[in-house]
Amino acid sequence: MQIRRFSRPLLSAGLLLIISLSAALPMGEAPWRWTLPAGVSAPPVPADNPMTAAKVELGRRLFYDADLSIDGTMSCATCHVQKHAFADSTRTRPGVTDEPGRRNVPGLANVAWFTPLNFADPAATTLEAQAATPVFGTHPVEMGMAGREAEIGRRFGRDSCYRVMFARAFPDNGGRIDFSNVARALASFERTLISRGSAWDRQQLDPEAQAGSVLFVRDCASCHSGANFTDLTMHRLGPVDPALADQGLFEKTGIETDRGKFRTPSLRNVALTGPWWHDGSARTLDEAIVRHGLTHDAGEVAQLIAFLNALSDTEFTGRKSLAMPEEACGKRL
Amino acid sequence: MRGKMLWNPVLGALAVAIVAVGSAEAQEAAQPACTAPVAPTGELAPWTTPFPLQAAGSEAGISSASLPVGRAARLTLLQTPQVRYALRPEKPGGSVSHGGLVRIDVREAGTYRVALDSAAWIDLVRDQQALISTAHGHGPHCTGVRKMVDYSLTPGPYILQISANGQPQMTVLLARLP
Repeated sequence: MQIRRFSRPLLSAGLLLIISLSAALPMGEAPWRWTLPAGVSAPPVPADNPMTAAKVELGRRLFYDADLSIDGTMSCATCHVQKHAFADSTRTRPGVTDEPGRRNVPGLANVAWFTPLNFADPAATTLEAQAATPVFGTHPVEMGMAGREAEIGRRFGRDSCYRVMFARAFPDNGGRIDFSNVARALASFERTLISRGSAWDRQQLDPEAQAGSVLFVRDCASCHSGANFTDLTMHRLGPVDPALADQGLFEKTGIETDRGKFRTPSLRNVALTGPWWHDGSARTLDEAIVRHGLTHDAGEVAQLIAFLNALSDTEFTGRKSLAMPEEACGKRL
Repeated sequence: MRGKMLWNPVLGALAVAIVAVGSAEAQEAAQPACTAPVAPTGELAPWTTPFPLQAAGSEAGISSASLPVGRAARLTLLQTPQVRYALRPEKPGGSVSHGGLVRIDVREAGTYRVALDSAAWIDLVRDQQALISTAHGHGPHCTGVRKMVDYSLTPGPYILQISANGQPQMTVLLARLP
């Protein structure tokens, strides 16, 4: 689809033709153009939810819309805050009913490459499926929409601009406004949360961070591996403790050896996503490092932290295309 | 401070904790259950005697929605789509949430505290700018004060923007701190 190609300034006669063609072509089919650093391939995208510009635009608006929660007070962005690399600054966050959260909010940088997506749910393998967890989940209640799925369609359907945006994003099913399409749009936007602009990516580590990187490779990279510093595998650090309220992977599998296992978190932007640990119980990076049971002296911990700081990407946390949209359908929101 | 607050459960013992704002992020958390209500004291004492107040839907109507210093109000909000904020809130709330505007007049420079019974997002606006808060925290346990935000203010008029409130009514108090 060539909608973007047609957007160049043209002579008036040609412009009329273009307008006519644009009207005849479904906007939703405009291709998404990835902006990726050299050497980085586009992330995997499900065949049944191809990326389009219209879907990403809709998903971005929905990501910041609190009408996805029962009382209109909580959006995805309430917990996934851009300046914190789409994590937040709290230990765990209660949902709309004030039920305490169980796990720390994870950052979303490069989430398009992650599977499984959650700390301890091997079934959460796609962003499209994962979207239901915060919206409808009851363990704990987050956005509180369990049993209210139809209400989501009604809410967005009352907004004429949303009707246009859904129609553009989902011409294949008539722009249906329902949670299935909401999830597809959210997933499309979330796949654009790409962070590859840290000092480490630019190979601009200062001497302390450089020393930290050597330690990191030696002591940490067996689990915090790859471009996103995670092997995407669930591990347990320390002994099993059946008394803990959160048993991690065991809660999904029922297998005794899975008690206390959680997925290795990505370390992209880790300095911006504290507090740390699956339950947010590590208040500092020092504490989080120490909990791994390794034997680093204070100088080495400082070097490791310098390295972790070098994984922060301020271009990502300030990128306007990922922020709450200022307008939709040509009008200010 | 601009914002919805997340109370960290580990701060439970610090029942009246209000902390300096290191970042604009606020904190909120569920409180332990209360066996009996507790009347707040000191600058929060007016909390228990709120007067009814209708929030304004825009700057144009704000003169009739004034919250005096040292008073609490039981505020009736509007549905969010009916509100025209002076500045777009960082957390604007969904169409089913509630919000509104309140006028505040400050005559003496000092530190002022806005206390709420909900986790609504608030902005204090002057000259089309949202002020940065100096501290935030939650109120004394079992008083019903859910959230407190402090500002250092100079004399003049301000607009208190309330957004993303789940209920159509809320209690708000404005106090000058000693």
